[in-house]
Amino acid sequence: MTARKIGSSQIVTALMLLPAAAIFLGLFVGSLAFFFVQSFWKASTFKVTPDFRPGNYLDVVTNYGEVLLYTLGVGVLVASLTTTLAFFFAYAVRFALGRLGDLMLAIALTTLFGGYLVKIYAWRTILGSDGIINSALINLGLIDRPLSFLLFNLGAVVVTLTHYLLPLAILPLYGALRDVDETELAAARDMGASRSRVMLDIVLPQVRPALMASFSVCFLLAAGDYVTPAMVGSPGNAMFGNFIQSQFGLRMNTPSGAAMSFTLIGTSLVLLTLIGAGLRKGLQPR
Amino acid sequence: MTGDRLLPRAYAFAMLVFLAVPLALCVLFSFTTSNSAAFPIPAFGFDWYARVAGNPQFQAAAWTTAEITVGCGAAATLVGLVTALGLDRLERRAAVAVLLVLCLPLMLPPLVLGLSLLTFFNMIGLKLGVAATILGHLLFTLPIVASVLYARLATMDGSAVEAARDLGASPLRAFATVTLPAIGPSLVGCMLIAMALSLDDFVIAFFVTGSNTLSTLIWGMMRTTLNPSINVVGSIIIAVSVAITALGLNVTRYRG
Repeated sequence: MTARKIGSSQIVTALMLLPAAAIFLGLFVGSLAFFFVQSFWKASTFKVTPDFRPGNYLDVVTNYGEVLLYTLGVGVLVASLTTTLAFFFAYAVRFALGRLGDLMLAIALTTLFGGYLVKIYAWRTILGSDGIINSALINLGLIDRPLSFLLFNLGAVVVTLTHYLLPLAILPLYGALRDVDETELAAARDMGASRSRVMLDIVLPQVRPALMASFSVCFLLAAGDYVTPAMVGSPGNAMFGNFIQSQFGLRMNTPSGAAMSFTLIGTSLVLLTLIGAGLRKGLQPR
Repeated sequence: MTGDRLLPRAYAFAMLVFLAVPLALCVLFSFTTSNSAAFPIPAFGFDWYARVAGNPQFQAAAWTTAEITVGCGAAATLVGLVTALGLDRLERRAAVAVLLVLCLPLMLPPLVLGLSLLTFFNMIGLKLGVAATILGHLLFTLPIVASVLYARLATMDGSAVEAARDLGASPLRAFATVTLPAIGPSLVGCMLIAMALSLDDFVIAFFVTGSNTLSTLIWGMMRTTLNPSINVVGSIIIAVSVAITALGLNVTRYRG
């Protein structure tokens, strides 16, 4: 295989990989590393000075510990809901819908691109007190005054995030289900295995990496979100991201915002590792 | 057996309604002549489109967005192509490992990525603006372009390039006359997908653009007034990104 590679010197290869390496190391690793260093700096009025203050992290835990737990909880809720809905959609498309399934999958994946902010705005106009649902119900004479429980609460946040993340979660799950062998499932059924047995012992263990991928992406994006809670959530239930963002407003407290960011990432990774281990234990192929 | 066939259909259909209807409603209400995005719709017209098109803030934001989208598409495709060609010269296992590492920025919440880029750009003295945003968008478009192009190159038949070389073509000429035409559709498709992803981004643009893009314009409008002009801007974003994606997927014949 190496013979066909033009000018096979390693220097040429290295030069070709240089731009990507420069972007990755210079922008991604560089900015994250600097952000991490800043999380130990000292913030005073209008100024940030180099220092070493691990106490910044302690402040985060004492001041925002409860918000962090709430946010991780919302992340787990949204990720579980989205992954479940996406799995059954991908499962139906793969095993039950035939050619109709291809069309349905294409439509679902088209909604992947619709603009993140546009989707949040759409839900706000649907659920708002003078929004689409309320104005329709009033016009139909079903209610006298707008239902106020639709918007500005946790339910609206969960619905909006699920709507945004669902196509993203379908993608890896469908890819994994496509590789599941249908004859193996039919054989198990012929030998008398129940529907749930087949699902638990054959299908789910085979697609476990994709389940974990979907769950992780949904969890990280939901737990790190700040726009959805600000736009459709209640002011009393702000999420961790809202507090991170507020460090960068007028206060410009970069060290605190950085410490909060890395606390969020650290706790998220620990949680995902635990959930991954749990799934591995729970979904053993038999 | 009817229940067996009906349930999956009904479920998949319900999911599609959930996914598509909010976006369809957003487009529907962009054509209302009323002052609010609600029922009843008195009449359909292009009133709000005319009003938005005449708004200088919208024109500025649309221009900035176009610069970022096209710039990001071009940069991601160019760097992605060079990267994929370089990866194709490595062992398969090493290439996949490099691609996985390049994909790490996709796993970071955009808020954290945006804030660390903002802090970093301030430190090195890079002015916020179109160039800074294109650099930021490269972090999540480059890995996707490089992955798709590498997959295409890896499945290509190497003997055609070899034949061209044997017949005396220079490496560059062999690339231009054999490799490039073969991967052309993938290249165009990748560029379109990178453009759609860049167009969709709000969070990074919010922190590092310094002026308005179409999505940050919506953000500002949502905080001040709620009227169908937001539906108009939203519908434009939906139409452009869906068109770009559909074209991109069609050109590359990407499946799954």
